[in-house]
Amino acid sequence: MRPALKLEWASRILHAGLLRAASLLVPGRLRAEWRREWRGELWHVQQACERMSGTSWQGEREVASFCMGAFQDALCLRRSGKRGRFPFAQLHGAPSQCILILGTILAVSFTIAQLLPGVRAERSLSPGAVRPGLVTIEEIGENNDTMPKIPQSQYRSWADHKQKFFDGFAFYRVTTEVVERNASTRGNSVWSVGRAGANLFTLLGLPIRFRDPDGLGGSMPEVILSEKTWKRDFGSDPHVAGVVVQLGEQAARIAGVAPDSSLELPRRVDAWMLGPDSAMPGGGTGYVLAHLTPAGEAEMWAHVVRITAYGPDASQNDLLGFSLSARATGPWILYLFAVFLALVSLPAITSVSLGEYSQDPQGTSWSRKFTRWSFLSAKIALLLAIVYFASLDLAYGQTTLDANRSAYIQLMFSFLACLFGMRWVLGDQRHRCPVCLRRVSNPAQVGQASQTFLAWNGTEMMCMGGHTLLHVPSLPTSWFGTQRWMYLDTSWGFLFAGSTRPIP
Amino acid sequence: MAREAAFSEAKLSHTAAMILQALDAGFVYGFSIMEMTGLPSGTVYPAMRRLERDELIRSQWERQSIADAEQRPQRKYYKLTAAGKATLEASRRRYPLLERLIPNAEAKSI
Repeated sequence: MRPALKLEWASRILHAGLLRAASLLVPGRLRAEWRREWRGELWHVQQACERMSGTSWQGEREVASFCMGAFQDALCLRRSGKRGRFPFAQLHGAPSQCILILGTILAVSFTIAQLLPGVRAERSLSPGAVRPGLVTIEEIGENNDTMPKIPQSQYRSWADHKQKFFDGFAFYRVTTEVVERNASTRGNSVWSVGRAGANLFTLLGLPIRFRDPDGLGGSMPEVILSEKTWKRDFGSDPHVAGVVVQLGEQAARIAGVAPDSSLELPRRVDAWMLGPDSAMPGGGTGYVLAHLTPAGEAEMWAHVVRITAYGPDASQNDLLGFSLSARATGPWILYLFAVFLALVSLPAITSVSLGEYSQDPQGTSWSRKFTRWSFLSAKIALLLAIVYFASLDLAYGQTTLDANRSAYIQLMFSFLACLFGMRWVLGDQRHRCPVCLRRVSNPAQVGQASQTFLAWNGTEMMCMGGHTLLHVPSLPTSWFGTQRWMYLDTSWGFLFAGSTRPIP
Repeated sequence: MAREAAFSEAKLSHTAAMILQALDAGFVYGFSIMEMTGLPSGTVYPAMRRLERDELIRSQWERQSIADAEQRPQRKYYKLTAAGKATLEASRRRYPLLERLIPNAEAKSI
């Protein structure tokens, strides 16, 4: 009696253990009820087996077999639970999945572009954001426009006399200064400071933000921060106006923040120190900005106006005025150039052919063709938008990078991303069933390479909707040079009986 | 009504038809269906999950007092829904031997 009892208890523990192990496969929310049901059923199975054959190996085997079925049940529940959890599983390979993924990437890159201040500032660069008629005056034949060339005496001569073609001038110099910010403990930094006349921002037509009205008219010189400096060194503090900073040996009061720079001035400036022209040290050279009258604008050709200046000694000096709105191209022109380069280079890395579509015995309807081309166009449009915003994120996200390096990063990234992105777009389109636009799958090698000249050999893929087979030759020949679609008629339907994909 | 019609038109596997027939005949527990149909537990229980998911059958726990009175664990029993009955009718037309295999005369009272 005692060994039989031990055996019975051992088998019961074994069966309970099997059920418990199987229950681990069941989703947690269903596990308790599942165990309860199987435990109840197990009790009846054990009772039935005992009635039939007492405690015997045959009975034990039947109970164990019953318990093993619990694993199948548990797996079934687990699979159905997963199907419920991933409602987009049916999208796999579908055109909507492709558009959804591209759309998501675009949304992410666009959101990042909206959040990064450097990118926002760069995107605001556009010809329309600049006051019309503004020019920067430079000498003819000077390639390096970052060097100041206009003598201050020349500027004074222009500004002091009424001009026919100009109605305003501004002069500035750029120096590098060590800056001490006494209001914070963030330490010192080095700024490019533009020292200009008080009329600079009036001439540029740019409003000053966060201007401190209490400080107007004070004896201390005013400093206007660029937006980038305001964000980088002052953490976008809206109460920055009125803060006193030490610029080199001179104390100055921050009077406001210039908006996102819409100007491509000859040199990038971190802050502007404004004061009367008389306060500026005499002599030397600097940069001159001018605003054209309507008569002056009429003289402009290809965004350039020729200027003949007469010095105090009646000497003649030929200069050029370059339109600032033409210089403020922003990142858009650079991006378009990169896209152009990528499109020109595309045939070098992939075939631009989409293969042969003309084998449909039932004739391809115009609506299918339209859908196919619309899908291709949507992919290209999304890709180009993604490349644009991603290149901005990458190039201008870091405000510490200088302009040339950022432009280089944007150009290179746009070119490479566009080039390989277009290659992917074309490759993806070539592998989409022309009927339902799902990606073909289940590749199979057909034929033998040694028989290339007797029959085709290559890869065959099928549309899981049962619409088409795709034949891609491994070695293009004169009679089979590119991939071909074979359209399947309804007699193939039995092969795809389990398919859930409807024929459009 | 439209839902019932849709289910009655649905194709049902032979296993599922047998389970529906067994339920209709009064074999309302998983193990009793196994005994009646001869199908293994690994087939019967997953099939019943699917039938329940498709709302052809529904399950219910018996009252605890009944299980306590009989000194055994509580059991879950299954019933045909209206859609299940319509589907079973369609299955009987498809599998005419179904009723002979599991006749209704052997139905037990719940």
